[in-house]
Amino acid sequence: MIRLQNVSKSYAGRLALKDVNLHVALGEFAFLVGPSGAGKSTLMRLLYREETPTSGNVFIGGVNLNKLSSPQIPLLRRRLGIIFQDYKLLTRQTAYDNVAYILRAHGVDEKEVRKRVNSALNVVNLEDKQDAFPDELSGGEQQRVGIARAIVNGPPVLLADEPTGNLDPATSLEIVQLLARISQRGTTVLISTHDHTIVNTMRRRVISMRAGEVATDVDSGFYEVQGQIQV
Amino acid sequence: MRHLRVFWRICVETMLGIKHSGWSNWLVVSILAIALTIFGSVLQLTMTLKDVVNYFGSQMVISAFLKDNFEPGKVAQEISQFVEVRLVEVIDKNKSWGEMQKTMKVASIPNPLPNTLHIRVAKPEQVEKLAPKLQLLSGVEAVRYPMMVARRINEVRHFFEIAGVAVTAVLAFATLIVIGNTIHLVIQARHKEIEILSLMGVGHFYIKCPFVLQGAFYGAVSALFAAVVIIGVEFYIIKPYISNELVSFASVMPTGLGYNLVETFLIMLALGMAVGAGGGAWASGRYIKI
Repeated sequence: MIRLQNVSKSYAGRLALKDVNLHVALGEFAFLVGPSGAGKSTLMRLLYREETPTSGNVFIGGVNLNKLSSPQIPLLRRRLGIIFQDYKLLTRQTAYDNVAYILRAHGVDEKEVRKRVNSALNVVNLEDKQDAFPDELSGGEQQRVGIARAIVNGPPVLLADEPTGNLDPATSLEIVQLLARISQRGTTVLISTHDHTIVNTMRRRVISMRAGEVATDVDSGFYEVQGQIQV
Repeated sequence: MRHLRVFWRICVETMLGIKHSGWSNWLVVSILAIALTIFGSVLQLTMTLKDVVNYFGSQMVISAFLKDNFEPGKVAQEISQFVEVRLVEVIDKNKSWGEMQKTMKVASIPNPLPNTLHIRVAKPEQVEKLAPKLQLLSGVEAVRYPMMVARRINEVRHFFEIAGVAVTAVLAFATLIVIGNTIHLVIQARHKEIEILSLMGVGHFYIKCPFVLQGAFYGAVSALFAAVVIIGVEFYIIKPYISNELVSFASVMPTGLGYNLVETFLIMLALGMAVGAGGGAWASGRYIKI
């Protein structure tokens, strides 16, 4: 589902990613770990086409993202669910409207919007908070709205860029377990994080990055503070 | 149906954008209304003056003197086929000679006058084009017309045309900049929201279109305000006060000259909306990076 072929990315001569090769299969759940500056966020931005690689190819569902024209980028993003560390919610809209926004923008009729939004809010267990505005919600609840928004279109791929970065450990674990449950429905989930507690609790595939390279890639892996993986 | 729903959502987004713009809405509408008021006034004045010039021009007569052996009615028929010709009047030489004899007491000699045609054109600028064509007709001996008057009228008419275009261009450019900068401020205020929409996969058209419509909305509202000002000036100042001073001049003028207020308003509305939409399109194209 996600494939990177010899991908490198440099900014003003500084190499952020160096010859990265990676494959994440359909329905797989994987952590992308590493210290700050390891290249996790750069890799994520390449996947949702916020950036283009300096060399190499990035594929999602067989589509080469390098070859997408500007008007095709929104079409790609509709097939991805993207979750951010800072939630990126529309502050002037309620939880319901945040989740419904993308559907309405695509001209989905209101009856269908209601059905799909309620279903997404049900998955994240936020049905009772649908009329709340983001600033009336806790961090964990805001992130769950972000997840509901990401899954409302039924995307085959979920990309979560440091989704627990602003959350306490208990809420973080809750969020990642929620993403794991979503993955069980056949969605490919890739989570970038440097939270070793969560990674070690979940014991799933761990792709470790160091200085722009994939250092290790292990199923049911661990992530230690120093960035070491144990099998 | 889906496209209608998308269009409706774009309208909703536009209205929300206007609502969130707050006081800056009034700023841009005020500036644009002032510009449109000036434009509308200049348009009214220019078009009225142009119509006056055209009226005088259309009253100008080309005289075609006919050869003796030609039937005036047939030549008149031939001349009336020219597209420029509005009216052809036959002046019979015997009738003219009879009147001349009565008024001037001329000697009893054979009639020396030719049959004459008086030709009026539809537009003043056509006088100088038509005269040489008439000269080429086999039945026409000579053609006379007030050449200097025709040229002067054309110059004045041309001046009003250029002045109208120049004023329109300058005001359109100025308002384009004002609207563009206002929309730029709105875009800056909503940049985070725009980034979120882009990352969610909302299309470029959907993101940018509300700003174009917002500009068009400013144009429409400003045209309404400008129309109120112009209509107010027309009914409460020009008609009761200034028109009375011009009664003697107006008495020689035909009625119905100049643009009426509805036409002026529609032109201001179209221009305001076009400039507003243009400003919105320019600002969204330049400042929304997605």
